[in-house]
Amino acid sequence: MSSIAIEGARRSFASVLAVRDVTLKIEDGEFFTLLGPSGCGKTTLLRLIAGFAELEAGRISFGDTRIDTLPPHRRNIGMVFQNYAIFPNLTVAGNIAYGLKARNVPRADVSRRVEEALALVRLTGLGERWPHQLSGGQLQRVAIARALVIRPEVLLLDEPLSNLDARLRVDMRGEIRQLQQRLGITTVYVTHDQEEALAVSQRIAVMEAGRIEQLGSPEDVYRRPASLFVARFMGTTNVLVGVVAARQGAHMDVRIGTTTVSLQAPHDMRGGDRLNLCVRPEALRILGIGEGTKDGEIALAATIASCEFIGPLIRLDLTLSDGSPLKLAMLDRPLHPAAAGDRVSVAFGVDRVSIFPQAAP
Amino acid sequence: MRPLPGLNLQVAPLARLPVAIGAIAFLFLGVFLVYPLWCVLSASVLTADGSALTLQNYAKVLSRTYYRASILNSLTIGALASLSTTLIALPLAIGIARLEIRGKLVLIGLAALPLILPSFVGAYALLLLFGRSGVITQALNAWGIPFGSIYGTPGIVFVYTMTLYPYVLLPTVAALKAVDRSVEEAAESLGSTPARTFRTVTLPLVAPSVLSGTLLVLIETLENFGVPAVLAEDKTILAVEAYKLFIGETATNPAAAAVLGSLLIALTALILLIQRRYIAGRRFATGARRVPPPIKLTAPWHILATLYCWGVVLLALVPFFAILTLSFLEFRGPVLHRAFSLGNYAELFSTARGPLANTLILASLAAGLAGLIGIPVGWVLARTRSSLTSVLDVVSTLPFAIAGTVLAIGLVIAFNSGGLVLTGGWLIIVIAYTVRKLPFTVRASSAIVHQLDPALEEASVSLGVPPLVTFLRLTVPLMLGGIVSGLVLTWVTLASELSSTVVLYSGPWRTLTVVMFQALEGTGAGVAVAAASLLIGIALIPVLIAYRLLRANELSML
Repeated sequence: MSSIAIEGARRSFASVLAVRDVTLKIEDGEFFTLLGPSGCGKTTLLRLIAGFAELEAGRISFGDTRIDTLPPHRRNIGMVFQNYAIFPNLTVAGNIAYGLKARNVPRADVSRRVEEALALVRLTGLGERWPHQLSGGQLQRVAIARALVIRPEVLLLDEPLSNLDARLRVDMRGEIRQLQQRLGITTVYVTHDQEEALAVSQRIAVMEAGRIEQLGSPEDVYRRPASLFVARFMGTTNVLVGVVAARQGAHMDVRIGTTTVSLQAPHDMRGGDRLNLCVRPEALRILGIGEGTKDGEIALAATIASCEFIGPLIRLDLTLSDGSPLKLAMLDRPLHPAAAGDRVSVAFGVDRVSIFPQAAP
Repeated sequence: MRPLPGLNLQVAPLARLPVAIGAIAFLFLGVFLVYPLWCVLSASVLTADGSALTLQNYAKVLSRTYYRASILNSLTIGALASLSTTLIALPLAIGIARLEIRGKLVLIGLAALPLILPSFVGAYALLLLFGRSGVITQALNAWGIPFGSIYGTPGIVFVYTMTLYPYVLLPTVAALKAVDRSVEEAAESLGSTPARTFRTVTLPLVAPSVLSGTLLVLIETLENFGVPAVLAEDKTILAVEAYKLFIGETATNPAAAAVLGSLLIALTALILLIQRRYIAGRRFATGARRVPPPIKLTAPWHILATLYCWGVVLLALVPFFAILTLSFLEFRGPVLHRAFSLGNYAELFSTARGPLANTLILASLAAGLAGLIGIPVGWVLARTRSSLTSVLDVVSTLPFAIAGTVLAIGLVIAFNSGGLVLTGGWLIIVIAYTVRKLPFTVRASSAIVHQLDPALEEASVSLGVPPLVTFLRLTVPLMLGGIVSGLVLTWVTLASELSSTVVLYSGPWRTLTVVMFQALEGTGAGVAVAAASLLIGIALIPVLIAYRLLRANELSML
């Protein structure tokens, strides 16, 4: 087991730069996720680590050993594929033993380690089954067992849950995370599902157009997005437009619609600049009648346009006085119903706001 | 520094296997396909002593009405046969794909049979039945009913239609089945009648497949040697004239043969180019999630349709049944007697045991070699994409457009002297067979590989198994069903190969087809019929044995 160091990795397909000079260090034993929309280069980066795509520039090392010059079959990786890639002509045990046989592991050890691997993924007793007799979730476990049994340096997972149904997906992601923690294996996980990424990862690299937009803990990338793209990609967000009315030292007055609020100023903001202010729906709360804002809170007047009841949550679509939309989410509260047409005050903490220069429309 | 695509001399480790396979394939096809064709072309544009470029040969050949007629005849017959094949096969395809015809499974199996039965045997059967001294002609004459001639255009077009219609039928059936029902439903929901929907939605969707099949038929007719050799009589045909000029008993004229050969290559290659470039690629893969339900016809129409479908399929097989029957009757010279006899077979086995063995040996060696080269090449074409693989794709498809006679002429010119002399031996026949069947094995292989998830191979490599071992241990076993059926079909069609064999064979290496061909020219009708029956048996028996396997993997060449 070892850390992964990626330095200046670049790869293009035809004229498209799929991975643009990515530099990245994944710690020993870390659960690391590459997250992004389709076409962002996350799978290509994973395949560069695996060796199924060739680097055009840069280098990749496991620990102190440079591996990008090695063919994939000599990199000692465990890889789990999106559609499992279970060999249909081999039994479950045959699939799991496949990599051990390639390493000339003695026969007695092979069967012992296959049994251990089956137990690890809770498939004990299914070794003699054929792949077509297994469910999707079971196939997924076989794929994981097959990748882990060879004791790889790193575990690479390419959207491993995207072919499972929603409930199973939630169960499996927990299982994968527990397994990874138990074994302490360095893991690179590729997904386009931000919730999945937040749930399992120690660190997340959010990718866009071949670049890493932000690298950080799940809390970081969700609460403190480094760009408008990350803010939007990591879940629903409100994007308000504001104008810097005046700047005084570390603070600035920003006009949002008809309201002016005082905010911490990023160092490069000046009077007259137009801003995007991002705030998550669940950071908003509706003030009760006569209730004032707390310290460090901003209040905006709005009208409820529509309500959506989805069980644990209520989602509101609001309209600000200047007509711009605002989304709000709150836990179900049967005692304080909200209805379309209500005029309300909406408050949120200034520390929940992410500020970016206004993006070109 | 970015590597130039295709000029990357420092080969990436993952790409080494495809590059090695590609290099071997290019070497083989370069030496045994491109170079011989180059020899034909250069023989046609060089003066007799080879010192200067000249168009004299072309001028000479084209100035003679005789040869101009051969071009015109070939094209006319090809056009007529393509048209009649399509007209016969299209309703049949609709019937098979969309009607509930009784015994449909058997019908489909029988409809594919003409693909493996030797067409010149069909031609020969027509000759035996309807020729000047044919069984039926004589019977009709005895009753005083006049019967026209089947020699020349009508007979040839008929045989082509009956033996080549699966080329249009099978892809059209596949295309009809691939039309998504919801497309038709959409048309009907917009107020279109079922008939109008069929005409304006379904037919346009399958048109590229139909047309693509039609062009393949055209190519087959242009390069076919056996059928016109049997039926043309005094009608001149391009492929036959090239052969006569090259091998002819009177004055041989290699330069003139090369001119006809080059013209033939140009025609067929052009048609193949059109087929691949503009039509095969335009097939609409709607990826049917719901196959359209059978069309309901009123009873009389349904009976008519059933009769038509079974009628066409059985009619195409009648000549072959006839040959099998006739082979057990007694021939005295060319004259047939209605008495059961095994004499034909006795005579065949006493005179032609060698050729029978040759046929089996040569077909087996060539099928093996075509598989050995074609399967890896098919894998490369399915798995890697670069400018080099598209060249490989073109070159490995090319033999399909090269008439067997012309390829053989090229091989003789190329390997008759110099560093590598192959003429007169068995190897040159095996090479010609291999080259001719390579497009088939390559297509069959790449079609199977396309169905295999590439992640399987990556999973194997990621588990530590090198690419070559992965290919042999994982990919090949997964492809096995398709490989076996592809090789069976290759072997079966090679056993009845005539057009290149007739140019390349030498004394000890005569094959059954050559025996039959020679018997046709002489008086040995009995031997010819027995040889033809044997060829039918050689084609049918392995196919019947491997029938299930073949059903699952048919069609890949089309």
